Amino acid sequence: MEKRNHFSVIVVGAGHAGCEAALASARLGVDTLLLTMNISTVALMPCNPSIGGPGKGHLVREIGALGGEMAQCIDETCVQMKWLNTSKGPAVRSRRAQADKYLYRQRMLNTLFNTPNLLLRQGHVTEIIVDGGRVAGVRLETGVGFSCEKLIVTSGTYLNSRIILGRASWDGAPQNQSAAIGLSDSLVKAGVRLRRLQTATPPRVLKSSVDLTKLTELPGDVDAGGFLWENRLRRYEKQISCFLTFTDERSVEAVRRNLSESPLMLENITDEGPKHCPSIDRKIMKFPDMVKHQIFVEPEGWESQELYLQGLTTAMPPSAQQDILASVAGLENAVVLRYGYAIEYDALAPGQIRKTMESRVVDGLYTAGQLNGTSGYEEAAGQGLIAAINAVLALKKQPPYWPSRTKSYLGVLVDDLSTWEKPEPYRITPGHAEFRLTLRDDSAERRLAADGFRIGLVSQERFASIYEWSARIEKEIARLGVLSLLPSGEARERLARFNSGDLKKPASGNELLQRPGINYQEAMDLLQQPFESRLTAADEIYAVETEIKSSGYAEREAEKILQTAFLEKIHLPMITADPRLQVLSSQAIQILNSDRFDDLSQMVRKHCLSRTEVAILLSVLAENSEGENEVEVKND
Amino acid sequence: MSKLKIDTIAAVSTPAGRSAISLIRVSGPETFKILSKLFKTGGKKAFPLPYSAYFGAIVEPDTGLVADKCLVTTFLAPKSYTGEDLAEVSTHGNPVVVSRVMQLLLKNGARAAEAGEFTRRAFLHGKMDLLEVEAVSQLLSAGTASQARLALNQLDGLPSKFVARIRDRLIHNLVQLEASLNFPEDAVEAIDEHLLAIEIKHILAELHVFARNARNGNLVADGLRIALLGRPNSGKSSLMNYMLGRERAIVTDIAGTTRDTLEEAMMIGDFPVKIIDTAGMRRPGDRIEAMGIERTGQAVDSAFAIVGVFDGSQPVSSEDILVLDRIKSSQKPFILVCNKTDLPQRLEESFFSGCPTVEISSLKASGLPQLVKTLREIISSSGLSELEEMVLLGAQQSVSLDKALAALERADQGIGTMYQDMLAIDLEEAVRELGRVNGETVDVNTLDLIFERFCIGK
Ligand SMILES: Cc1cc2nc3c(=O)[nH]c(=O)nc-3n(C[C@H](O)[C@H](O)[C@H](O)COP(=O)(O)OP(=O)(O)OC[C@H]3O[C@@H](n4cnc5c(N)ncnc54)[C@H](O)[C@@H]3O)c2cc1C
Ligand SMILES: Nc1nc2c(ncn2[C@@H]2O[C@H](COP(=O)(O)OP(=O)(O)OP(=O)(O)O)[C@@H](O)[C@H]2O)c(=O)[nH]1
Ligand SMILES: [Mg+2]
Repeated sequence: MEKRNHFSVIVVGAGHAGCEAALASARLGVDTLLLTMNISTVALMPCNPSIGGPGKGHLVREIGALGGEMAQCIDETCVQMKWLNTSKGPAVRSRRAQADKYLYRQRMLNTLFNTPNLLLRQGHVTEIIVDGGRVAGVRLETGVGFSCEKLIVTSGTYLNSRIILGRASWDGAPQNQSAAIGLSDSLVKAGVRLRRLQTATPPRVLKSSVDLTKLTELPGDVDAGGFLWENRLRRYEKQISCFLTFTDERSVEAVRRNLSESPLMLENITDEGPKHCPSIDRKIMKFPDMVKHQIFVEPEGWESQELYLQGLTTAMPPSAQQDILASVAGLENAVVLRYGYAIEYDALAPGQIRKTMESRVVDGLYTAGQLNGTSGYEEAAGQGLIAAINAVLALKKQPPYWPSRTKSYLGVLVDDLSTWEKPEPYRITPGHAEFRLTLRDDSAERRLAADGFRIGLVSQERFASIYEWSARIEKEIARLGVLSLLPSGEARERLARFNSGDLKKPASGNELLQRPGINYQEAMDLLQQPFESRLTAADEIYAVETEIKSSGYAEREAEKILQTAFLEKIHLPMITADPRLQVLSSQAIQILNSDRFDDLSQMVRKHCLSRTEVAILLSVLAENSEGENEVEVKND
Repeated sequence: MSKLKIDTIAAVSTPAGRSAISLIRVSGPETFKILSKLFKTGGKKAFPLPYSAYFGAIVEPDTGLVADKCLVTTFLAPKSYTGEDLAEVSTHGNPVVVSRVMQLLLKNGARAAEAGEFTRRAFLHGKMDLLEVEAVSQLLSAGTASQARLALNQLDGLPSKFVARIRDRLIHNLVQLEASLNFPEDAVEAIDEHLLAIEIKHILAELHVFARNARNGNLVADGLRIALLGRPNSGKSSLMNYMLGRERAIVTDIAGTTRDTLEEAMMIGDFPVKIIDTAGMRRPGDRIEAMGIERTGQAVDSAFAIVGVFDGSQPVSSEDILVLDRIKSSQKPFILVCNKTDLPQRLEESFFSGCPTVEISSLKASGLPQLVKTLREIISSSGLSELEEMVLLGAQQSVSLDKALAALERADQGIGTMYQDMLAIDLEEAVRELGRVNGETVDVNTLDLIFERFCIGK
């Protein structure tokens, strides 16, 4: 018998979602049990050795701002850090890190072991115990049971998982682990609906067998800084490079030659995989005229002798993979250490989770990560964090934390996920965020640190220094609004030197900065501000410049944000007893009264309520609440 | 959309009693059930197949009598004009035969269609856009040739096709831009800003023309406003009555009779116009008159053209000078009327010098043809006669068009110096608003389009 068999919160699975969830729960002071099939593969990266990129990098920054772990862990264990999109604008700029997969796992494991209130144990969960529609606990393969108040399941790609390699296929999980059998059936018995998804990974090759001289070297950026706010100005002097090569006619030919052995043709796998990670076979079938596909060759760690071949994802049989590799410049003699493969697994069917990540089907059950139909480490970690925060708030009988899509990528993620209806897995990109000028990578703390502090994941001390930093930025923006440059002959001459137009009437510091080609220091020079009065930190200057230069766009965005944020605050289901609402379509009334959506903004976004209907509904609501929410919602 | 019970409708759609063949349309869920009862076809072909024609006969089920031999063409939902199951029954043109077939259809479950019902169903099923539907209703209520022409333009789908085409061009660019923003490490060609700048300029130019045509279209649809302006007692109300050919406005010899503006519709050639009688212009004597005079000012502002009315039997007064100044400063096309030519003329001729003038006696009904002729010239020189290009927009659609234009103006000014992510915001806004001009609420799923067009994937 177990000594202890009750925990307030139990987390199943120590992948990226599970680690984040367990740490947040324990750090909020709740006794937490983290159960995972194999302690040796905690925080495993079964696919690419990298974290970040547009959208994903934003998530990592936000996880850090809110008090999560992923940002810190990757900052400490990366082998390369890089800026992306710097020339394309502040809304899409982001970092991407190459991870040392082994160090990442080791560091995460240490953190788990060293966190008070948290117990990490190996165990294969085969059953969830539900009592009267509420989660009551879990049972392991060994028959041992644990009871809990809240359960967070983050089973990743492991549920009833099947590995596919050409015609061969077997039950199994990444890295020759075994599939999780049993839990799926138990979830189904509790009323949860499942579906099959798939994903795949490329082969790994021996470094010494690759001719790096034929490849283009892609170094990192020394001054990219880390994801965590504390690491924002950190310099990464020592980095290792990635490399780039391309396929050509020979590779296309090799793929075509072997196509009959592709699971795509064999149809021995579900077709629902991530759109953004097509296999090389799919790419060549879909874009038959394209010959040159990029292959990024990425290290898996400082010491690792393995190279990851991003762009060559495939589940064709080993001989075919060899054939294709032999056709790519630099990889002609590559020795495969691990073959690429596809994996098929159980995930939730759409429409069963709330924005809080709680199940709509079973009370007290939360799900996060790949199980919810996403793909990617960052998406998993973000959901794990939100799920744990809400599990703990519910435990403490406090109102839930609904991150708003107007305030964070985390909000976009959970909002989209709770309404996602497409067959393919969800991956975050800036394209999903309609308010992306506000959700900039550099403003994560200014948007979220206060939430993290209120929730309890950001310490008083940390919050105070973030507050000071953000006050410096805001004060400087305000100061620039007051400073003014008079149109003297001298000033005009100096402006002309910047090639930045004439000056007819006095211009504020803001107006100067808004002119193309004038940066912060130049504006300060023009305004003849002494050096002591200026900002010095590069990130603060960047924030000031960006806010001011994009202020016109930001203002228009702010108007739209007001409307969405207002609709988000009207939670569903609502009881529409007012007889005047009978004019709404019966379908709309039914949805308003049902548990299908979390709030009105979701209903509008999904076109379940026309603009006229919103106007009617809001005017009736406003009347009934006697001016409680006197917000005018423009019919836009 | 609320779930109305949709029944099956039938109507004769060729003009009654004229042609050798009559066409009866049946549309709705019961279409083929009803026809299977009535229509006997000789062949072995299954009935109905998508878009197929069948020879056969309409037979009265009770008596077995053949009502007519005919051709039935079948269209299965959603691939039909209405988007529903639809059949076209071509019978002989004989009115007796046509009405017998109609009777049979109605007796067996169809309902006689109301005016415009086929069109309405087409819209409900997404077969027509808002602009087209608005056009059909305009066409049905069109009073003049120019209004009908306008409605026909809409029906041909000219404006909506135009807007859709512009929107597609923008989407094409937006998708490429977004691809490179969202997937910086994939081999997406960076967008050529120089080419994009040219494209935006072209689109802006075309949209400005479209916006002007829309303004003109709305002018024509509402009637061009022509304001009569002059000092009290100059004979404005008398002139209005003369133009209308009936006693509409009260006429007295008391100065200040008309205290509020009056509007009446009439035709000038092919064009519908609204004649607006106003309160005479002078320093107000009381509050009500003051309000009337203020309205006069508004009438001038909203007018398409102004007719200045002067009393030819009186010497020029300071009020007349005030009126002429107001007319000239309005920047609108105008014409001056020297009224009361039946009386001895005491108005100095030099007062009118350099301005288009016609002489009229409202009392004796002379001089109107000359006034109408001049007004026609004013209308045609404004470009309004190019009816082929006119467009009609509703209020909400005009707002959306303006927003799209504003977004593109920003993009036009910013491109080259502005970040691409902001450029994308402008393009996205233009695409969204142009969608609203055509009444589409479908979201553009940029990400899906990216995956269709570019080989994204690590
Ligand atoms: C072959 C492959 C290819 C991939 N390709 C991509 C890609 O191209 N792009 C991309 O973005 N992402 C890809 N991924 C996905 C990425 O790995 C996941 O998105 C991410 O790891 C999900 O994190 P998670 O926490 O949800 O689950 P995982 O990281 O899968 O972790 C799940 C954890 O739960 C444990 N567990 C599961 N069931 C039980 C149970 N019943 N009892 C106890 N413990 C249990 C497991 O042992 C594991 O530790 C790929 C994954 C694989 C395997
Ligand atoms: N002899 C003559 N009298 C006219 C003619 N037109 C108008 N009158 C007279 O002029 C007087 C004023 O005419 P109205 O039409 O009321 O003038 P108005 O400009 O509308 O005046 P207010 O409404 O007071 O501003 C009336 O007595 C008319 O009969 C005309 O052509 N010949
Ligand atoms: Mg009058």
